[in-house]
Amino acid sequence: MRGTTRWSLLLALVLAFGLAAAACGGDDDEGDGGEAAETGGGGEATDEPIVIGAAVDLTGQMAPFDGPAVTAAQIQVDKLNEEGGVAGRELQLRVIDHQLDPERTKSAAIELIDDGADVLLVTCDVDFATPAVQEAITRGVLAVAPCIGTDQMGPERFGDQGKLAFSIGNVAQDEGAAMAEYAIDQGWMRAATATDNVIVYFQDVVKAFAARYTELGGEVVVEESWTQGDGTIQNVVSALDNANVDVIATSTAFDDMPAMVGGLRSLGNDTPIICGWSCDGNYWLPEGTDNFYLVTYASVFGDDPSDEVKELITAMEEQDQAPGTGGFVTGAAAIDAIAAAVEETGGTEGEALADAFEGFEGLETISGEISFSEEFHSVFGREYRVMEVQNSQPSFVELRAASSPAEIE
Amino acid sequence: MRRLAELSGLVAPVLLLALVGVVGTFTSRSVQFQFRFALVMAAIVIALYVFVGSSGVVSFGHVSFVAVGGFAAGLTTVPEALKLSLSPDLFPVIASAEVGNAASLAIAAAVGGVFALIVGVPLMRLSGLSAGIATFAVLVITNNVLRNWEAIGPGARTLSLVPETTSFLQATVGVIAVAALAFLYQRSRWGRVLRASSDDPAAAQGAGVDIYRQRLLAFALSGALAGFAGGLLVHLLGSITTQQVYLDLAFLTLAMLVIGGFRSLWGAVVGALLVSGINSLLLTAERGLDLGIGEVTVPTGTRLVTLGAVMALILLFRPTGVTGGRELTLR
Repeated sequence: MRGTTRWSLLLALVLAFGLAAAACGGDDDEGDGGEAAETGGGGEATDEPIVIGAAVDLTGQMAPFDGPAVTAAQIQVDKLNEEGGVAGRELQLRVIDHQLDPERTKSAAIELIDDGADVLLVTCDVDFATPAVQEAITRGVLAVAPCIGTDQMGPERFGDQGKLAFSIGNVAQDEGAAMAEYAIDQGWMRAATATDNVIVYFQDVVKAFAARYTELGGEVVVEESWTQGDGTIQNVVSALDNANVDVIATSTAFDDMPAMVGGLRSLGNDTPIICGWSCDGNYWLPEGTDNFYLVTYASVFGDDPSDEVKELITAMEEQDQAPGTGGFVTGAAAIDAIAAAVEETGGTEGEALADAFEGFEGLETISGEISFSEEFHSVFGREYRVMEVQNSQPSFVELRAASSPAEIE
Repeated sequence: MRRLAELSGLVAPVLLLALVGVVGTFTSRSVQFQFRFALVMAAIVIALYVFVGSSGVVSFGHVSFVAVGGFAAGLTTVPEALKLSLSPDLFPVIASAEVGNAASLAIAAAVGGVFALIVGVPLMRLSGLSAGIATFAVLVITNNVLRNWEAIGPGARTLSLVPETTSFLQATVGVIAVAALAFLYQRSRWGRVLRASSDDPAAAQGAGVDIYRQRLLAFALSGALAGFAGGLLVHLLGSITTQQVYLDLAFLTLAMLVIGGFRSLWGAVVGALLVSGINSLLLTAERGLDLGIGEVTVPTGTRLVTLGAVMALILLFRPTGVTGGRELTLR
């Protein structure tokens, strides 16, 4: 009897797998169609829609970055479609939430490309995005991250096929340089740096700050580092509190950012802190945060200098998707850049689109003028919004572009 | 006849794994990928089973061996220029190493086995809860070393561009090989001795069994299999980060083993495939699963809640797992 029960378990499992395969495999035909579209679609005049797939995180820790970017991308897609589409073709955006699960990230990319995606949008961190990026570029599909902030989207990280990988985010060398130039202009000549080693973008922003800051005559007197979540942030706070400097430069996010800022202020230390885009938004600000500065893509506090950006924010608010940080604008800018590349090449072939991207110099997008080069597959030369936080309220101070990206190792 | 009945304990797991391999090939490419992932997860869980099932000691640390195996297989198959761009301080011997797929898997197994042997020397003297906690400490230490020591790997960065060689054939053959080795071990004298000593340590010691040595052997073998499975994993995903092979994976694989039944190979295989199946179905259902009679959509997060609930229910009502911790044999 017991043997029968166990064998029936095997039978049940076999049936369950059969069912699972049948349920999940229902899109087989679409998959084949997708491949046909992928191989035959590029470069040819066609009425077929241009499909932009998005393998992003809408529930995990990247959701505050990916979510608004995808909403803004959808609004821009709708806007361009109302204006007649791109090269006479309709744009479509298809989104899969991979929740940062690496297996899911890859299978989402496979599914979207099989389903006919001509371009793939990926999550805003290169480490999390890698499985999707590799799937796209090995299949000749352009991979665009709305807001990855390192120069890692490109051949350096992904070999020759990395030619097909781009980010509409700022290259960290540029963002850190803008922070340093602003700090020097304020007369802050002695700095402490606090490096969060959890992701490359955080590390590179601080490296770039230090490089440009010392070039311009500033002195970095204290260098602290930790890794997000390792439980040592209070040690960093103590060291920074004892540093006796004019400015503290950092780039971090998540839980340790409020711990650092709140920790310093609770010790009565009101040294100005300057940060990159990762510190944007007021959702994390500890009560009574003063003397906090950051550079970002757009102000989400109603005082952005661009009317187009303000309109986009209003459109997002109407959908109950008010952006928390200025990074949202990169989602819309990604659509602008993809549209410009499709217009220029007349098709969606990955290699041709990548050539067009590399040639963009001062391309007008909703996030201002953006440029790429063979070296930098992330944006440089962007006009940042410098924001100042007093009493936990961020406000726009000025537009500032870095004179050039800083040289870092 | 008795021998045949005993051998049949291997037939059912192999049959099920092969079936998953075959059925998977008939699905769409993204589902195929999930099937291959399920097979690799099964390899990890079987590796874990070799130690936990035989010794009765819970190990939270086996994902360390998956991690070192994964990084070893990845680092030996990625071009030197890329490795150096990710981590300029890499030891020259690692930077210049470039071997084929099969050799990288062998290296992964060797690295996992040697690492397990080294940490096992002090750890296997412990029993019960303290052994479990000590293996957890190994996991934390390994993760931090891999994350911060850039002379042995990419540190906090993702190791990208790893050749994606874990096809259906490689995944299926790989996991069946792991299952066969696990089976051979459990039928061997050493496997039986260790299992007996976990049932009654005093009697085993009285009969002259060196429990420490037996545990160490099982730990090293299971570390080698976990390292090999790590190699399969990295060649499936095409990339690896330290975060992928840390707490989430440790919890998930242990849950798979407990749900299936940690005292049998059949339990390890069933647990891994069952949980992978539930996982995939719920993930799909979170986006809308077309059942033919209408689309079912469940709230985001259902997957994790369900997995936790399934594990709790199994522990409550069937503490020995869905298979009862028994092999599926002809007897």
